[in-house]
Amino acid sequence: MAEEIENKLILELNELQDNFQKTTSKLIKDIKRHDKIMARSDKRQKQEYEELQIRLEEIKALSKEIEETQREVVFTMGAIGESRSKETGNHVKRVAEYSKILALYYGLDEKEAEMLKQASPMHDIGKVAIPDAVLNKPGRFNEEERKIMDAHAQLGYDMLKHSTRPLLKCAATVAYEHHEKWDGTGYPNKLKGEEIHIYGRITAIADVFDALGSDRCYKKAWDDEKIFKLFKEEKGKHFDPKLVDIFFQHLDEFLKIREALKDEFVED
Amino acid sequence: MINIIFILSLKLLQKRRNSLENFIVEETKCTPLIKLDASTGVFQLIGKSYPENTFEFYKPMMEWVESYLNNNESKKTVVNLEIIYFNSSSSKLLFDFFDLLEEAYNKGKRIEVNWIYDEENESALEAGEDFKEDFEELKFNLVEK
Repeated sequence: MAEEIENKLILELNELQDNFQKTTSKLIKDIKRHDKIMARSDKRQKQEYEELQIRLEEIKALSKEIEETQREVVFTMGAIGESRSKETGNHVKRVAEYSKILALYYGLDEKEAEMLKQASPMHDIGKVAIPDAVLNKPGRFNEEERKIMDAHAQLGYDMLKHSTRPLLKCAATVAYEHHEKWDGTGYPNKLKGEEIHIYGRITAIADVFDALGSDRCYKKAWDDEKIFKLFKEEKGKHFDPKLVDIFFQHLDEFLKIREALKDEFVED
Repeated sequence: MINIIFILSLKLLQKRRNSLENFIVEETKCTPLIKLDASTGVFQLIGKSYPENTFEFYKPMMEWVESYLNNNESKKTVVNLEIIYFNSSSSKLLFDFFDLLEEAYNKGKRIEVNWIYDEENESALEAGEDFKEDFEELKFNLVEK
Protein backbone atom coordinates (compact mmCIF):
# COMPACT_ATOMS: atom_id res chain seq x y z
CA MET A 1 0.00 0.00 0.00
CA ALA A 2 2.76 2.41 0.99
CA GLU A 3 4.69 1.43 -2.11
CA GLU A 4 1.71 2.23 -4.27
CA ILE A 5 1.38 5.68 -2.76
CA GLU A 6 5.10 6.21 -3.07
CA ASN A 7 5.04 5.24 -6.71
CA LYS A 8 2.05 7.48 -7.36
CA LEU A 9 3.84 10.36 -5.68
CA ILE A 10 6.98 9.66 -7.65
CA LEU A 11 4.92 9.56 -10.82
CA GLU A 12 3.32 12.88 -10.00
CA LEU A 13 6.65 14.39 -9.12
CA ASN A 14 8.22 13.10 -12.31
CA GLU A 15 5.35 14.56 -14.25
CA LEU A 16 5.77 17.87 -12.45
CA GLN A 17 9.48 17.69 -13.10
CA ASP A 18 8.83 17.12 -16.79
CA ASN A 19 6.36 19.94 -17.03
CA PHE A 20 8.63 22.24 -15.13
CA GLN A 21 11.49 21.30 -17.43
CA LYS A 22 9.36 21.87 -20.52
CA THR A 23 8.01 25.19 -19.30
CA THR A 24 11.37 26.56 -18.20
CA SER A 25 12.98 25.38 -21.42
CA LYS A 26 10.36 27.21 -23.37
CA LEU A 27 10.78 30.31 -21.24
CA ILE A 28 14.53 30.23 -21.68
CA LYS A 29 14.09 29.79 -25.40
CA ASP A 30 11.72 32.76 -25.47
CA ILE A 31 14.09 34.93 -23.47
CA LYS A 32 16.96 34.07 -25.80
CA ARG A 33 14.79 34.83 -28.78
CA HIS A 34 13.76 38.12 -27.27
CA ASP A 35 17.38 39.06 -26.68
CA LYS A 36 18.17 38.23 -30.27
CA ILE A 37 15.33 40.40 -31.48
CA MET A 38 16.46 43.30 -29.29
CA ALA A 39 20.07 43.03 -30.43
CA ARG A 40 19.06 43.00 -34.06
CA SER A 41 16.65 45.85 -33.53
CA ASP A 42 19.37 47.95 -31.85
CA LYS A 43 21.76 47.26 -34.67
CA ARG A 44 19.20 48.23 -37.24
CA GLN A 45 18.18 51.39 -35.42
CA LYS A 46 21.79 52.49 -35.20
CA GLN A 47 22.28 51.99 -38.93
CA GLU A 48 19.05 53.75 -39.79
CA TYR A 49 19.72 56.70 -37.54
CA GLU A 50 23.22 57.20 -38.88
CA GLU A 51 21.99 56.97 -42.44
CA LEU A 52 19.31 59.52 -41.64
CA GLN A 53 21.92 61.96 -40.36
CA ILE A 54 23.94 61.53 -43.55
CA ARG A 55 20.90 62.15 -45.72
CA LEU A 56 19.98 65.23 -43.69
CA GLU A 57 23.45 66.64 -44.21
CA GLU A 58 23.13 65.97 -47.92
CA ILE A 59 19.84 67.79 -48.02
CA LYS A 60 21.31 70.75 -46.17
CA ALA A 61 24.21 70.89 -48.60
CA LEU A 62 21.90 70.66 -51.61
CA SER A 63 19.65 73.41 -50.29
CA LYS A 64 22.64 75.62 -49.81
CA GLU A 65 23.84 74.80 -53.31
CA ILE A 66 20.46 75.68 -54.79
CA GLU A 67 20.34 78.97 -52.95
CA GLU A 68 23.83 79.92 -53.96
CA THR A 69 23.27 78.89 -57.56
CA GLN A 70 20.17 81.01 -57.69
CA ARG A 71 22.00 83.96 -56.26
CA GLU A 72 24.89 83.63 -58.69
CA VAL A 73 22.68 83.16 -61.72
CA VAL A 74 20.55 86.17 -60.90
CA PHE A 75 23.61 88.28 -60.25
CA THR A 76 25.24 87.14 -63.47
CA MET A 77 22.11 87.94 -65.46
CA GLY A 78 22.16 91.41 -64.01
CA ALA A 79 25.82 91.85 -64.84
CA ILE A 80 25.20 90.64 -68.39
CA GLY A 81 22.44 93.20 -68.71
CA GLU A 82 24.83 95.91 -67.62
CA SER A 83 27.71 94.78 -69.78
CA ARG A 84 26.28 96.21 -72.97
CA SER A 85 26.27 99.68 -71.58
CA LYS A 86 29.80 99.05 -70.46
CA GLU A 87 28.91 99.43 -66.80
CA THR A 88 31.26 97.58 -64.55
CA GLY A 89 30.20 94.64 -62.43
CA ASN A 90 31.02 96.78 -59.42
CA HIS A 91 28.29 99.29 -60.25
CA VAL A 92 25.77 96.50 -59.94
CA LYS A 93 27.35 95.31 -56.70
CA ARG A 94 27.41 98.78 -55.20
CA VAL A 95 23.78 99.48 -55.98
CA ALA A 96 22.87 96.13 -54.45
CA GLU A 97 24.74 96.94 -51.23
CA TYR A 98 23.26 100.46 -51.00
CA SER A 99 19.81 98.96 -51.48
CA LYS A 100 20.25 96.49 -48.66
CA ILE A 101 21.36 99.15 -46.19
CA LEU A 102 18.50 101.44 -47.10
CA ALA A 103 16.08 98.55 -46.77
CA LEU A 104 17.32 97.55 -43.31
CA TYR A 105 17.25 101.08 -41.94
CA TYR A 106 13.84 101.67 -43.48
CA GLY A 107 12.59 98.73 -41.42
CA LEU A 108 12.54 95.72 -43.72
CA ASP A 109 13.73 92.47 -42.12
CA GLU A 110 17.06 90.84 -42.93
CA LYS A 111 15.51 88.25 -45.24
CA GLU A 112 13.66 90.84 -47.34
CA ALA A 113 16.60 93.22 -47.43
CA GLU A 114 18.86 90.39 -48.55
CA MET A 115 16.36 89.43 -51.25
CA LEU A 116 16.30 93.02 -52.49
CA LYS A 117 20.08 93.01 -52.58
CA GLN A 118 20.02 89.86 -54.72
CA ALA A 119 17.29 91.13 -57.04
CA SER A 120 18.77 94.60 -57.45
CA PRO A 121 21.32 93.71 -60.17
CA MET A 122 18.40 93.01 -62.49
CA HIS A 123 16.95 96.49 -62.31
CA ASP A 124 18.18 97.52 -65.76
CA ILE A 125 17.76 94.15 -67.45
CA GLY A 126 15.35 95.79 -69.89
CA LYS A 127 18.31 97.59 -71.42
CA VAL A 128 19.28 94.44 -73.31
CA ALA A 129 16.42 95.34 -75.64
CA ILE A 130 17.64 98.90 -76.24
CA PRO A 131 19.66 99.36 -79.46
CA ASP A 132 23.36 100.22 -79.15
CA ALA A 133 23.00 103.56 -80.89
CA VAL A 134 20.65 104.79 -78.18
CA LEU A 135 22.12 102.89 -75.25
CA ASN A 136 25.66 104.16 -75.76
CA LYS A 137 24.99 107.57 -77.25
CA PRO A 138 27.50 110.02 -75.77
CA GLY A 139 25.32 113.11 -76.02
CA ARG A 140 21.83 114.06 -74.90
CA PHE A 141 18.80 112.17 -76.17
CA ASN A 142 16.24 113.64 -78.47
CA GLU A 143 12.60 113.00 -77.69
CA GLU A 144 12.42 109.77 -79.65
CA GLU A 145 15.63 108.39 -78.21
CA ARG A 146 14.41 109.31 -74.71
CA LYS A 147 11.22 107.33 -75.31
CA ILE A 148 13.17 104.28 -76.48
CA MET A 149 15.50 104.42 -73.50
CA ASP A 150 12.72 104.90 -70.99
CA ALA A 151 11.01 101.80 -72.33
CA HIS A 152 13.64 99.67 -70.56
CA ALA A 153 11.62 99.84 -67.35
CA GLN A 154 8.51 98.32 -68.95
CA LEU A 155 10.63 95.90 -70.96
CA GLY A 156 12.47 94.71 -67.88
CA TYR A 157 9.20 94.13 -66.10
CA ASP A 158 7.78 92.23 -69.07
CA MET A 159 10.83 89.98 -69.06
CA LEU A 160 10.47 89.11 -65.39
CA LYS A 161 6.79 89.26 -64.59
CA HIS A 162 5.99 85.66 -65.48
CA SER A 163 7.92 84.10 -62.64
CA THR A 164 6.30 83.16 -59.35
CA ARG A 165 9.64 82.90 -57.56
CA PRO A 166 9.83 85.54 -54.80
CA LEU A 167 13.28 86.65 -55.91
CA LEU A 168 12.24 87.22 -59.51
CA LYS A 169 8.95 88.86 -58.51
CA CYS A 170 11.03 91.28 -56.46
CA ALA A 171 13.31 91.85 -59.46
CA ALA A 172 10.28 92.50 -61.68
CA THR A 173 9.03 95.17 -59.29
CA VAL A 174 12.46 96.77 -59.08
CA ALA A 175 12.83 96.82 -62.86
CA TYR A 176 9.36 98.27 -63.28
CA GLU A 177 9.42 101.02 -60.68
CA HIS A 178 12.98 102.20 -60.16
CA HIS A 179 12.37 105.20 -62.42
CA GLU A 180 9.18 106.30 -60.74
CA LYS A 181 9.43 109.55 -58.80
CA TRP A 182 7.94 110.46 -55.44
CA ASP A 183 6.08 113.43 -56.93
CA GLY A 184 4.48 111.36 -59.71
CA THR A 185 6.59 112.65 -62.59
CA GLY A 186 8.45 109.41 -63.18
CA TYR A 187 7.94 106.55 -65.65
CA PRO A 188 6.52 104.25 -66.91
CA ASN A 189 3.31 104.66 -64.85
CA LYS A 190 3.65 108.05 -63.10
CA LEU A 191 3.15 106.42 -59.70
CA LYS A 192 3.17 108.78 -56.74
CA GLY A 193 4.45 108.62 -53.17
CA GLU A 194 3.82 105.31 -51.46
CA GLU A 195 2.06 103.95 -54.57
CA ILE A 196 5.60 103.23 -55.61
CA HIS A 197 6.72 99.96 -54.11
CA ILE A 198 9.40 100.42 -51.46
CA TYR A 199 11.73 98.28 -53.59
CA GLY A 200 11.37 100.82 -56.41
CA ARG A 201 11.89 103.83 -54.13
CA ILE A 202 15.01 102.29 -52.62
CA THR A 203 16.52 101.32 -55.95
CA ALA A 204 15.88 104.82 -57.30
CA ILE A 205 18.08 106.43 -54.67
CA ALA A 206 20.73 103.72 -54.79
CA ASP A 207 20.95 103.81 -58.55
CA VAL A 208 21.09 107.61 -58.84
CA PHE A 209 23.68 107.91 -56.09
CA ASP A 210 25.92 105.46 -57.85
CA ALA A 211 25.31 106.91 -61.30
CA LEU A 212 26.15 110.44 -60.22
CA GLY A 213 29.30 109.29 -58.49
CA SER A 214 30.61 107.36 -61.53
CA ASP A 215 31.88 108.32 -64.94
CA ARG A 216 29.45 107.45 -67.70
CA CYS A 217 29.71 107.60 -71.46
CA TYR A 218 27.64 110.74 -71.46
CA LYS A 219 29.09 112.56 -68.47
CA LYS A 220 31.83 112.64 -65.86
CA ALA A 221 31.34 111.81 -62.19
CA TRP A 222 29.96 114.53 -59.92
CA ASP A 223 31.68 115.88 -56.79
CA ASP A 224 30.18 114.66 -53.55
CA GLU A 225 29.06 118.17 -52.59
CA LYS A 226 27.09 118.42 -55.79
CA ILE A 227 25.52 115.00 -55.22
CA PHE A 228 24.43 115.82 -51.67
CA LYS A 229 23.00 119.14 -52.80
CA LEU A 230 20.91 117.38 -55.43
CA PHE A 231 19.66 114.82 -52.96
CA LYS A 232 18.50 117.55 -50.60
CA GLU A 233 16.75 119.31 -53.47
CA GLU A 234 15.10 116.12 -54.70
CA LYS A 235 13.88 115.06 -51.26
CA GLY A 236 10.14 114.74 -51.65
CA LYS A 237 10.41 115.32 -55.39
CA HIS A 238 12.32 112.47 -56.99
CA PHE A 239 13.03 110.61 -53.79
CA ASP A 240 11.10 109.36 -50.77
CA PRO A 241 11.92 111.91 -48.03
CA LYS A 242 12.29 109.20 -45.42
CA LEU A 243 14.89 107.43 -47.51
CA VAL A 244 16.84 110.64 -48.08
CA ASP A 245 17.00 111.12 -44.32
CA ILE A 246 18.22 107.58 -43.85
CA PHE A 247 20.82 108.17 -46.55
CA PHE A 248 22.28 111.21 -44.79
CA GLN A 249 22.05 109.61 -41.35
CA HIS A 250 24.22 106.71 -42.53
CA LEU A 251 26.27 108.49 -45.16
CA ASP A 252 29.51 107.04 -43.83
CA GLU A 253 28.32 103.50 -44.57
CA PHE A 254 27.46 104.38 -48.16
CA LEU A 255 30.80 106.07 -48.72
CA LYS A 256 32.59 103.09 -47.24
CA ILE A 257 30.90 100.76 -49.73
CA ARG A 258 31.67 103.09 -52.59
CA GLU A 259 35.34 103.07 -51.63
CA ALA A 260 35.46 99.29 -51.07
CA LEU A 261 33.80 98.49 -54.38
CA LYS A 262 35.19 101.29 -56.51
CA ASP A 263 35.87 100.64 -60.17
CA GLU A 264 39.44 99.85 -60.99
CA PHE A 265 40.31 101.28 -64.34
CA VAL A 266 43.23 99.88 -66.24
CA GLU A 267 44.99 102.41 -68.41
CA ASP A 268 45.06 101.29 -72.04
CA MET B 1 -34.10 11.82 -50.12
CA ILE B 2 -30.77 10.37 -48.98
CA ASN B 3 -29.28 11.44 -52.29
CA ILE B 4 -30.32 15.03 -51.66
CA ILE B 5 -28.84 14.97 -48.18
CA PHE B 6 -25.69 13.40 -49.58
CA ILE B 7 -25.35 16.07 -52.27
CA LEU B 8 -26.10 18.85 -49.82
CA SER B 9 -23.50 17.64 -47.36
CA LEU B 10 -20.95 17.29 -50.17
CA LYS B 11 -21.64 20.89 -51.13
CA LEU B 12 -21.26 21.95 -47.50
CA LEU B 13 -17.95 20.12 -47.24
CA GLN B 14 -16.81 21.73 -50.45
CA LYS B 15 -17.77 25.14 -49.11
CA ARG B 16 -15.83 24.46 -45.92
CA ARG B 17 -12.81 23.44 -47.91
CA ASN B 18 -13.25 26.40 -50.22
CA SER B 19 -13.04 28.75 -47.29
CA LEU B 20 -9.69 27.22 -46.52
CA GLU B 21 -8.51 27.42 -50.09
CA ASN B 22 -7.02 30.89 -50.21
CA PHE B 23 -5.98 33.43 -47.67
CA ILE B 24 -5.13 36.69 -49.39
CA VAL B 25 -4.30 40.09 -47.96
CA GLU B 26 -3.25 42.86 -50.32
CA GLU B 27 0.02 44.67 -49.77
CA THR B 28 -0.06 48.05 -48.02
CA LYS B 29 2.58 50.62 -47.20
CA CYS B 30 3.56 48.83 -43.98
CA THR B 31 2.23 45.32 -44.41
CA PRO B 32 3.22 42.63 -46.91
CA LEU B 33 1.22 40.79 -49.54
CA ILE B 34 0.02 37.58 -47.93
CA LYS B 35 -1.04 34.84 -50.29
CA LEU B 36 -1.65 31.43 -48.79
CA ASP B 37 -2.95 28.87 -51.29
CA ALA B 38 -4.34 25.73 -49.67
CA SER B 39 -4.83 23.90 -52.96
CA THR B 40 -1.24 24.23 -54.17
CA GLY B 41 0.30 24.40 -50.71
CA VAL B 42 2.29 27.52 -51.60
CA PHE B 43 2.48 30.30 -49.03
CA GLN B 44 3.83 33.74 -49.93
CA LEU B 45 4.68 36.73 -47.80
CA ILE B 46 6.14 39.53 -49.88
CA GLY B 47 6.91 43.11 -48.93
CA LYS B 48 7.48 45.08 -45.76
CA SER B 49 6.13 44.41 -42.28
CA TYR B 50 6.00 47.29 -39.82
CA PRO B 51 2.38 47.79 -38.79
CA GLU B 52 1.57 49.34 -35.47
CA ASN B 53 -0.62 46.46 -34.33
CA THR B 54 1.38 43.48 -35.54
CA PHE B 55 -0.33 40.71 -33.58
CA GLU B 56 -3.78 42.01 -34.41
CA PHE B 57 -2.85 42.19 -38.06
CA TYR B 58 -1.42 38.70 -38.28
CA LYS B 59 -4.00 36.99 -36.06
CA PRO B 60 -6.31 35.89 -38.92
CA MET B 61 -3.34 34.56 -40.86
CA MET B 62 -2.02 32.61 -37.89
CA GLU B 63 -5.44 31.13 -37.24
CA TRP B 64 -5.76 30.12 -40.90
CA VAL B 65 -2.30 28.53 -40.86
CA GLU B 66 -3.15 26.64 -37.69
CA SER B 67 -6.29 25.13 -39.15
CA TYR B 68 -4.45 24.39 -42.41
CA LEU B 69 -1.76 22.50 -40.54
CA ASN B 70 -4.35 20.62 -38.52
CA ASN B 71 -6.07 18.96 -41.46
CA ASN B 72 -4.38 15.79 -42.51
CA GLU B 73 -3.11 16.63 -45.93
CA SER B 74 -0.11 14.84 -47.22
CA LYS B 75 0.99 17.28 -49.87
CA LYS B 76 4.05 19.43 -49.42
CA THR B 77 3.80 22.99 -48.17
CA VAL B 78 6.27 25.54 -49.47
CA VAL B 79 6.60 28.84 -47.62
CA ASN B 80 8.23 31.67 -49.57
CA LEU B 81 9.13 34.71 -47.52
CA GLU B 82 10.47 37.81 -49.20
CA ILE B 83 10.33 40.44 -46.48
CA ILE B 84 12.62 43.36 -47.16
CA TYR B 85 11.97 45.20 -43.93
CA PHE B 86 10.29 44.25 -40.68
CA ASN B 87 9.95 45.70 -37.21
CA SER B 88 10.70 43.98 -33.91
CA SER B 89 7.20 42.70 -33.25
CA SER B 90 7.08 41.24 -36.76
CA SER B 91 10.27 39.46 -35.84
CA LYS B 92 8.54 37.92 -32.82
CA LEU B 93 5.57 37.06 -34.98
CA LEU B 94 7.79 35.26 -37.47
CA PHE B 95 9.33 33.21 -34.66
CA ASP B 96 5.81 32.20 -33.62
CA PHE B 97 4.98 31.38 -37.22
CA PHE B 98 8.04 29.18 -37.60
CA ASP B 99 7.14 27.52 -34.27
CA LEU B 100 3.86 26.43 -35.84
CA LEU B 101 5.62 25.15 -38.93
CA GLU B 102 8.30 23.29 -37.01
CA GLU B 103 5.71 21.66 -34.77
CA ALA B 104 3.80 20.42 -37.83
CA TYR B 105 7.05 19.31 -39.45
CA ASN B 106 7.98 17.26 -36.41
CA LYS B 107 4.56 15.61 -36.59
CA GLY B 108 5.31 14.47 -40.12
CA LYS B 109 4.09 17.20 -42.44
CA ARG B 110 6.32 18.02 -45.39
CA ILE B 111 7.25 21.68 -45.09
CA GLU B 112 9.96 23.75 -46.71
CA VAL B 113 10.73 27.37 -45.93
CA ASN B 114 12.51 29.68 -48.37
CA TRP B 115 13.83 32.93 -46.95
CA ILE B 116 14.38 35.08 -50.04
CA TYR B 117 16.61 38.11 -49.77
CA ASP B 118 18.35 40.59 -52.04
CA GLU B 119 22.15 40.34 -51.96
CA GLU B 120 22.35 44.05 -51.12
CA ASN B 121 20.02 43.67 -48.15
CA GLU B 122 22.42 42.66 -45.40
CA SER B 123 19.90 42.91 -42.57
CA ALA B 124 17.47 40.60 -44.38
CA LEU B 125 20.21 38.01 -44.80
CA GLU B 126 21.21 38.31 -41.14
CA ALA B 127 17.61 37.93 -40.04
CA GLY B 128 17.26 34.82 -42.19
CA GLU B 129 20.39 33.38 -40.63
CA ASP B 130 19.03 34.09 -37.15
CA PHE B 131 15.80 32.26 -37.90
CA LYS B 132 17.57 29.34 -39.52
CA GLU B 133 19.75 29.01 -36.44
CA ASP B 134 16.75 28.86 -34.15
CA PHE B 135 14.88 26.24 -36.14
CA GLU B 136 17.41 23.54 -36.67
CA GLU B 137 14.84 20.86 -37.39
CA LEU B 138 12.81 22.78 -39.96
CA LYS B 139 13.90 22.75 -43.59
CA PHE B 140 14.96 26.40 -43.85
CA ASN B 141 16.66 27.67 -47.00
CA LEU B 142 18.37 31.01 -47.50
CA VAL B 143 17.76 32.00 -51.10
CA GLU B 144 19.63 34.90 -52.68
CA LYS B 145 17.59 36.83 -55.22
